[in-house]
Amino acid sequence: MSETLDLATVTYAYGEHVALRDVSFSLRAGERVALVGHTGAGKSTVMRLITGLLRPTAGTVWVGDWDTSERRPEELAHRVGSLFQHADQQLFARTVREDVAFGPRATGVPAADVASRVTRALAAAGLEAVAEEHPYDLPPPERKLAALAGALALEPSLLVLDEPTAGLDRPARGRVAAALTERAAQGTALLVITHDLDFAAETLDRGLVLDHGRIVHDAPLSDLLALGDGLEALGLIAPPLSRLSTALALPGHPIRAREVASALASVAARNRVS
Amino acid sequence: MTAPLALRGVTYRYPANQTPALREVSLDVRRGEVMALIGSVGAGASTLLLVAGDLAPRVMGGELTGTVERDGRAALLLPTPWTQLSGMAFSVHDEVAFGPANLGWTRERISASVERALTRVDVAHLRDRDPTTLSGGELQRVIFAGILAMEPDVLLLDEPTAELDPLAARSIWGLIRSLAQGGMAVVVATSDLDALPDMADRVAWLEAGAIRALGPAADVLIDPALEAPAAPGSTAIARVWRVAGLREPPPLTVSQTVERLR
Repeated sequence: MSETLDLATVTYAYGEHVALRDVSFSLRAGERVALVGHTGAGKSTVMRLITGLLRPTAGTVWVGDWDTSERRPEELAHRVGSLFQHADQQLFARTVREDVAFGPRATGVPAADVASRVTRALAAAGLEAVAEEHPYDLPPPERKLAALAGALALEPSLLVLDEPTAGLDRPARGRVAAALTERAAQGTALLVITHDLDFAAETLDRGLVLDHGRIVHDAPLSDLLALGDGLEALGLIAPPLSRLSTALALPGHPIRAREVASALASVAARNRVS
Repeated sequence: MTAPLALRGVTYRYPANQTPALREVSLDVRRGEVMALIGSVGAGASTLLLVAGDLAPRVMGGELTGTVERDGRAALLLPTPWTQLSGMAFSVHDEVAFGPANLGWTRERISASVERALTRVDVAHLRDRDPTTLSGGELQRVIFAGILAMEPDVLLLDEPTAELDPLAARSIWGLIRSLAQGGMAVVVATSDLDALPDMADRVAWLEAGAIRALGPAADVLIDPALEAPAAPGSTAIARVWRVAGLREPPPLTVSQTVERLR
């Protein structure tokens, strides 16, 4: 069986400027992966290649058995859902529900299924209460959730998201995390470009680090975050829970709240602190 | 000495909106302090900054009761830097000079202030770039420089790190601290709760347009009510301490946790 996404020695150059050089990685169904690195490391170029907005200068981007350079972006939308960084500005329909329905309709989902998909996506993003509102009457975080619901409604095999939590408050971040976790459990592979390593640690499993157009790390997030201060050279800072794991030398370097809490409770018990 | 910014019983309604966005808000901001405004989206933090910066109701319309007293110049950084470009400058240098030029300063004073601001925000290397070609993070810092160049007494910042990567965010927080040390009053609306124990002197927690709590950061951030589902939350460290079922009040930072477990 083919991978959900497979980049095979992909190079991309904007004129003279080589943005990606011999990049190879793949994602399986349901895998949850963070793509991180400096501004300008090539993350957005990866996203544009996967969504068919760019074609590799060399190498091949496979989405399942499709070579993306042989498909138009609207064709790729049958398999790839995307959320661009300022997605809250890309809504255009008169109601949130209509906007979310656009993708499934445009990709030829039968009318009867569109309604149920939209309902599921609105529920996952926690937007049922505002489904009939005009998207631009909503505050920016909810607009972003509406754009996310549009991508979820495609029920794609792959979701590529650029900074899905930027500008969101805690309740909205929680909704994004829950919606993505649920989608991945249905088999959608997630590739999330993010600077929000708290969110990544809690929601994703594997980290890909791009540096100057090359993949320099491909490892479980827990191993990656354990690099501590070594992350700074990659434009990253370990989130608080990972720094706590380092400071207390917690076994296995836990990074998720539940795991850190249970390790913390053990340390407290051992040191007789209640 | 008078406070550079004081709100007394301020209630404000946006035009065409029945529900007030701010209700009976009173606070003093002191020179040399960083006051953080926290709250969920819609709680009123951004509106408070618009009122403090004299954009609401003066520019935005609406209706205000109560009083807003200012002693000195206030300058506001919006969370959407691309909406804050003058549109009249074709280089970063001229963009940063736009504010000071409108204050009627001498050419020498403008030039000195612009250079200082470009350096402090670390965008001097971008001085000849067309502002419309910058990335979100670069633009946020350029607009910040434009505000600093006006040498405000009160700096009002709405999510100043939202567009930034973690390293750039950390350097902006460092800059905010040092500006306060230099005597500026800083009011910053932020969802970066983890930065606050080290960066904020006081925290105002807004809920439905009213101040729910206002006090030293260390006191406000340990309030268990911050963990309610629609509330902004405390620091990640406080949360995990509580999940572990350990004794209140929780530590707020990694170093406080290490200290508590000793």
